[in-house]
Order: sequence, then C-alpha cells, then structure tokens
Amino acid sequence: MNSEELAQVKADRSVDARGTSCPGPLLAAKKAIGQIEKGQVMEVLSADEGTRRDIPKWCSKKGYEYLGTLEESGFFKIFLRK
Amino acid sequence: MANKKLTLALFSGSVDKLTAAGVILGGAAAEDMDVDIFVLLQAAFAFKKENALTNDRVAEITDKKDEFLASLKFLGAPHWTEAFRTAKEMTNVNIHICGFAGKVWNGYKLDDFIDLADDICGIGEYMTSAETADINLFI
Repeated sequence: MNSEELAQVKADRSVDARGTSCPGPLLAAKKAIGQIEKGQVMEVLSADEGTRRDIPKWCSKKGYEYLGTLEESGFFKIFLRK
Repeated sequence: MANKKLTLALFSGSVDKLTAAGVILGGAAAEDMDVDIFVLLQAAFAFKKENALTNDRVAEITDKKDEFLASLKFLGAPHWTEAFRTAKEMTNVNIHICGFAGKVWNGYKLDDFIDLADDICGIGEYMTSAETADINLFI
C-alpha cells in the first residue's frame, strides 16, 4: 500500500511499543498477533529503527501480510494483516 | 512443520554478553523457534541465585562500564534475566546448566541456580542438541 492508502487504514488492533528497544516491538507484535483474528489488521507503533525492517521479515516468515510503514514524527506505524 | 531450533552455548557470565543473548532469544521467541541453552563455566556464575541480580561485570569496553549500564537503564532494556524469562514465556526454551560448570562455582543442585534453569546436564546433551540445530551459537 502507498502512504495515502495506509493513512486510511483503520487497524483492528494497535500496539504501542514506542517505549521499548529491539526486540521489544517485535515481541509486542508477537504477543498481540495472537489476540486478533485472521484477516484483521494490526498496527505497530515503534521508535526503533530496526523494527521497520524486522516486522516485514517476521511477517514473511510467519505468513502474515506486511501492508507498509508510515513515518510519523519520531516514530513509525507499521501495518500488517494476519 | 517442526519449529526451527537454536542451540546456544552460553559461556559468558558478563551482563553485556548476557544482554546480547537475551536480544537474540527475543528474536528466536518471535519466530517460535525451539531453544536449547547450555550454561557453561562463567555463565554458571551468573546463573547462581546469589549472583544473578548483583553481578554487573562486563566483558568488553570495560572502561565504559558505567556508561554502558546507565544507557541500558535509560533505554528501558530489561535485565538479562527478564529477557530470558520473556523468551521462555513465549516459546519453548530449555536452559541446561553444565554439571561441571556448576561445580566450579559451588553449584551442585538445580536449586542453587535461578528458576530459569531447567536441569543440570552433561556435554552429551549439548552435542545432541547442536547436531540438529538450525542455528548454533557460542556466546
């Protein structure tokens, strides 16, 4: 998805991991993914630069759909579909 | 499909390397890997009940130890024991204390070590685990 499309996405679950460093955001995403249904969308908020590369790779390995990343002021919003 | 497996020979008893091990364990947990950790020599010191939370030795860049420890605290990094515990809660992690290493530090029983440890074993357990590991690390 491009930035305009991502900005319109309404996530079913939001995970705010901005207070943690690697691997905190990834583990927060792992915990939360178990709490949403297949087909639902989750957004992960992270201020950790490594997370924007970790989450897409994790999605690929685990069979989730990485939708894209939005850059906000001082953090990222990373979207994925279970 | 069977989970992939990480086998970690954990030799170091210093918080810098234990913290790094905790980060790697987090990655393994995120990917649902099975993990076998073998606590060898100096790491057995760190796993002793009386040392786990008080030991603040570092192995590298020792002249910057205070700065390093303060930075971990500032960043909210969990203590290595908490990182290990989180990984154990999220995936299948078994922590084995090397029997020889335990004795070096006067640890003869499982109860001499923090509750993260699952058993005391010999080197044959490590060899068997390493033979079938997808990733095999020595820290």
